[in-house]
Amino acid sequence: MSQDIRKWFVKPHGIPAGNGNTLKQEKPLTPEKPPVVQEAKESSSRRKTSKYFAKDAQSVKDEMEVEEVSEKKAQKGSTGSASEKPPSGKKPRKFQISDDDDDGDDFATPTLRKGLVDASPNKKLKTESGKGVARKIADDIDEDDDQTVKSNAKSAGRGRGRGRGAKGSAVTQITVESMDVDKSDAEEDMDDKDAKPTKPGGRGRGGRGAPAGGRGRGGGGRGGFMNFGERKDPPHKGEKEIPEGAPDCLNGLTFVISGTLDSLEREEAEDLIKRHGGRCTGSNYLLCDEDIGGRKSEKAKELGQVSYFHLLLYLVISRTFLRFCPSAVIIVSVSFYVFFSTAFLTEDGLFDMIRASNKSKKPVAKVAPSPPKKSPQKPEKSKQTGQTVTNSDTKGLASISASSKRKNQSTSLPWTEKYRPKVPNDIVGNQSLVKQLHDWLTNWNEQFLDAKNKGKGKKQNDSGAKKAVLLSGTPGIGKTSSAKLVSQMLGFQTIEVNASDSRGKADGKIERGIHGSTSNSIKELVNNQSLSLKPGSSQNVKTVLIMDEVDGMSAGDRGGVADLIASIKISKIPIICICNDRYSQKLKSLVNYCLLLSFRKPTKQQVAKRLSLIASSEGLQANEIALEELAERTNGDIRMALNHLQYMGLSMSVIKFDDIKQRLQSNSKDEDISPFTAVDKLFGYNGGKLRMDERIDLSMSDPDLVPLLIQENYINYRPNSGSKDDNGMKRLNFIARAAESIGNGDIINVQIRRYRQWQLSQAGCIASCITPAALLHGQRETLEQGERNFNRFGGWLGKNSTMGKNNRLLEDLHVHLLASRESNLGRSTLRLDYLTLLSKRLTEPLKKLPKDEAVERVVEFMELYSVGMEDFDTIVELSKFKGHPSPLDGVLPAVKAALTKAYNKGSSSRIIKTADLITLPGMKKAPKKRVAAMLEPVDESLPENAENEEENLSDAEDQEDDLADPEKQQKLQSELQSLNSKAIKVQMELKGSASSSSKKAPAGRGGGRGSGSASKRKR
Amino acid sequence: MLWVDKYRPKTLDKVLVHEDIAQNLKKLVTEQDCPHLLFYGPSGSGKKTLIMALLRQIFGPGADKVKVENKAWRVDAGSRAIDVELTTVSSTHHVELNPSDAGFQDRYVVQEIIKEMAKNRPIDVKGRKGFKVLVLNEVDKLSREAQHSLRRTMEKYSASCRLILCCNSSSKVSEAIRSRCLNMRINAPTEGEIMKVLEFIGKKESLQLPPGFADRIAHQSNRSLRRAILLFETCRVQQYPFTSNQAIPPMDWEEYVSEIASSIFKEQSPKRLFEVRGKLYELLVNCIPPEIILKRLLYELLKKLDSELKHEISHWAAYYEHRLRLGQKAIFHLEAFVAKFMSIYKGFLIETFG
Repeated sequence: MSQDIRKWFVKPHGIPAGNGNTLKQEKPLTPEKPPVVQEAKESSSRRKTSKYFAKDAQSVKDEMEVEEVSEKKAQKGSTGSASEKPPSGKKPRKFQISDDDDDGDDFATPTLRKGLVDASPNKKLKTESGKGVARKIADDIDEDDDQTVKSNAKSAGRGRGRGRGAKGSAVTQITVESMDVDKSDAEEDMDDKDAKPTKPGGRGRGGRGAPAGGRGRGGGGRGGFMNFGERKDPPHKGEKEIPEGAPDCLNGLTFVISGTLDSLEREEAEDLIKRHGGRCTGSNYLLCDEDIGGRKSEKAKELGQVSYFHLLLYLVISRTFLRFCPSAVIIVSVSFYVFFSTAFLTEDGLFDMIRASNKSKKPVAKVAPSPPKKSPQKPEKSKQTGQTVTNSDTKGLASISASSKRKNQSTSLPWTEKYRPKVPNDIVGNQSLVKQLHDWLTNWNEQFLDAKNKGKGKKQNDSGAKKAVLLSGTPGIGKTSSAKLVSQMLGFQTIEVNASDSRGKADGKIERGIHGSTSNSIKELVNNQSLSLKPGSSQNVKTVLIMDEVDGMSAGDRGGVADLIASIKISKIPIICICNDRYSQKLKSLVNYCLLLSFRKPTKQQVAKRLSLIASSEGLQANEIALEELAERTNGDIRMALNHLQYMGLSMSVIKFDDIKQRLQSNSKDEDISPFTAVDKLFGYNGGKLRMDERIDLSMSDPDLVPLLIQENYINYRPNSGSKDDNGMKRLNFIARAAESIGNGDIINVQIRRYRQWQLSQAGCIASCITPAALLHGQRETLEQGERNFNRFGGWLGKNSTMGKNNRLLEDLHVHLLASRESNLGRSTLRLDYLTLLSKRLTEPLKKLPKDEAVERVVEFMELYSVGMEDFDTIVELSKFKGHPSPLDGVLPAVKAALTKAYNKGSSSRIIKTADLITLPGMKKAPKKRVAAMLEPVDESLPENAENEEENLSDAEDQEDDLADPEKQQKLQSELQSLNSKAIKVQMELKGSASSSSKKAPAGRGGGRGSGSASKRKR
Repeated sequence: MLWVDKYRPKTLDKVLVHEDIAQNLKKLVTEQDCPHLLFYGPSGSGKKTLIMALLRQIFGPGADKVKVENKAWRVDAGSRAIDVELTTVSSTHHVELNPSDAGFQDRYVVQEIIKEMAKNRPIDVKGRKGFKVLVLNEVDKLSREAQHSLRRTMEKYSASCRLILCCNSSSKVSEAIRSRCLNMRINAPTEGEIMKVLEFIGKKESLQLPPGFADRIAHQSNRSLRRAILLFETCRVQQYPFTSNQAIPPMDWEEYVSEIASSIFKEQSPKRLFEVRGKLYELLVNCIPPEIILKRLLYELLKKLDSELKHEISHWAAYYEHRLRLGQKAIFHLEAFVAKFMSIYKGFLIETFG
């Protein structure tokens, strides 16, 4: 078995050295680098970056030295190709490219591919179509390096390992496996770079796997959260012409946008950069520390660069840093600024860069002088870009010719089938899970079957072992493929049963029902296995049952899952269940019998990598950024991405960022949108450009919460359309209209909920969300001092529940007053008219009179109106207004305490006027049905009945408790008896029960309140 | 005991204001079977007092022996069971309840609970007055459905049960119900009447009333007798002996509303609107009914408003009050009104003063 494992993790033509042992990492694995490899390395531009990182592993100081060295080297090397490069002395840190390990040839800054062109003949190869191969070689090389690196730092190794797995070229997946086997390989270009310094980084990125999906979203939504300062409008919005450049002119560059740009919205800038092949990392990732912004600029100044910069242009390296967990960022960022080269760009600089690309022939001359503020690097970059453009041109030609050939050969198979992973290494992401699955399957027979053969010794097995496995994850990330592949690898014969199968069979025996037939087929299979084993001269014919879409199976019938569980129990073959939502209610029971493997979405880089392999083998030309975008838009669903790719491949041979964006415009909405994100988008600067269906989708993402958020925040927006607003008149008008529309939404909502007119829901969402957002979308501003500038959570929910609580308290007070029989008043009258006086009567004496007298009077008054201490608090609470003195102000705590004491003392002799205060001992909940005044012997049986009914109402549990405790039961009975016999004046030994009641009552009420508000909300 | 309760007339004979109505009522019930009654009029005019006195007149002291119950009913409404919780005040002869407390489920209260109560015909030894009285408060707050079902109940069980309905505004009670009842309009007492009552109480409590003091209270009470008496006692709690220029403390919430109004006048901006929202929430949380807030706010606004705008603003207030009742989330509509007001008022200011 173990051999098998190795097989897969060993890369096809990999270097044997590293493969075998996980633990070996620490030893320097392959110190030797074949010369060929080196060449290859050079060829891969990315490689260089990695080297750069690699060196600094040791310590900062080392790094610096190294850098210097490298710089020198770089200068040397670069002279050939890029003579225009400004003297490195200026900006020593700028693009240090250092290959400590190998030779100085690869300086070419990773970001800037200029060096590459001449340096590596291979490169072209790669780019054209031989990419796959070339890469592999390159990768190998990388690995070598990595390994050397690894010797220093394990963690770095991790980052590397990740990359390999997917490539198939990976030398030692195993070594890495311990932590992040499933990491993204796609990123490797970048990864390589960060090898060393990134140690922390590598890790961070691995962890990213899951969050990655959310990131894109976060950019928009969370951006709001994390932006601490208010982002202002670009001062010259829309005034500048946005340049058009060669599509790839920013290839390989990574940008961090920070602050306010001169004329572009941040989103626009991002778009622009991506369109030209650059990468953007939202500055979100930097924002973990508040003063980091400050730091940015400080550092920049230190570096002697332009004092005014809005755009930070980092080397590609930087990107990796930015991704890490916040803490890492802080740490790293410091050193980063110090030791790594960055370039700072103003917006104009960016434009220039892009423009320059159009004149690729003589980029140097043009660009270099143009931006006055530019940091010295810029010229370099622009040069590069120019060159890349030329590269891409040639590339394009070559690839087209190649592709045309390819296309002729290609069959009509859908790509999803054609490129279904053939070996486990092909599976994108989730490698550790695949391995787990593999292990599980490998050991299955020994663990269950053999044990059984030995004689029913099942119990001996370790209890943790499960007989079935449950793979879960979103569609299209390779669950089924992994299951099949692994089974095949281990020589199992797979029998796949999915929802469609079982239903199909059901037709035959309708009388048995759907679940019946499912279970039959399963059981049959299970039995088959045992049969086949017995005659099994060929032990090799092993079977594994793959239950696909388990959650779908039970859709029609709950029995299905139960039956499946039963089958698992008796099964003699391994069963692999696959589902999308592991937390589905239906699968709750199944989960206990299965080993749970949750597949995560692969990162967009991982997906993009795989896609680019496929694309190139199909002769499609697609740049990485575009593919990443595709991966992101499809939300990690490789299958869907492939389908899109194939479709686009029909009509075009070169796929650009814009194409993807256009084609998949609407696809991104399929993911979950948090209400906050939705509101951000609706109100966002570009809110007006959204299509209607997009808006509806956004507001429908949570039809309860989004309107509340909108209502809470609409005041805060300064509408775009009212930009030339004299004295705010327009805005106020808009607000009034929006408020009315929100009111309409509320009215419609009432119709929907109360009369179940669900067909109105769209109208409701237009009225409550879309109209206000359409009127007011624009820049958010704060209205309160110290308010954070992101959308508040809807205040209504909280206020409403407080209101409900207070209403309940008021009702209690009301009942008590009624019970006193002194008064006969309505609830609203009580609040509107009586309350002021009541609070005065209760608190004024406490302030003015001497303590004893005051207390006496107040207690007397309270008794007269059967106002309890809780009601006292209610009265005080309700007559408190924000900004006004509370009625209790000026009452000394001592006096208040004396009051409480006096009241409680009196309570022992108190006649039960407010019988609702009785909490029967042993009863956990405050009785739902309260009998208040039992002053008259109106109907002796009634109170008792009432009590009994309460008991009936209260949970059976409670009753059981009561019964279980004979003492309590007795007490209860005596209580009831006393109630019965002297209904008028039941002298309660309220010592115990009254006090307990006062404690319990609020709790009970709290519960009631909670449910009350909940139900209200449902309405 | 509070003076309001202490000096509440217990019988129809002792009524100080609305004596004519009291006498008519007395005749009505002594001479013949009493019809369904609908009392309506502003709050603090004495509807409740009259009703209680009337009940006593009909049933004698037995009507005094009340018990207060907070009952939960489970109503079976087709597919689901609905739990309704209501407070009832009942004696052997009558049941008083407030069906609108059940919110939009008031329909079930009327359909099931009231019907059930109405069905049970009390057995009277003497064989006469074999009916029960159901007192329903705040009928104007009942939903339309509830009022519809009420109308059927009134007819069907009229033999065993009389309904006494009580509300502030008859315009919110459906025509059908009004026509089935004897409508009793209870006017707000005039200031003169209020002063008379206050002086009566003053005498009983042996207080020295400075001249003009009762007048001022009566004026501030807005012709609500209850309010007047409560204010009177509040003054008493706050300061005694009275001085002729003693400040009469306003109701806490009214004070708050007038603060809102003045802050709206001071500035019309999103920021101010936001603050106002906070204050409105504060009022709502303190259990002030939104309609009352709106009404009061309008009242305060009109006080300082230019007469040109009064008409328009009143229109909008009515508009938003209507919507308030249609809707469920009061704050939305209150805020919408404030926003509307701000936008109109600001426009007006700009127009007039540039």
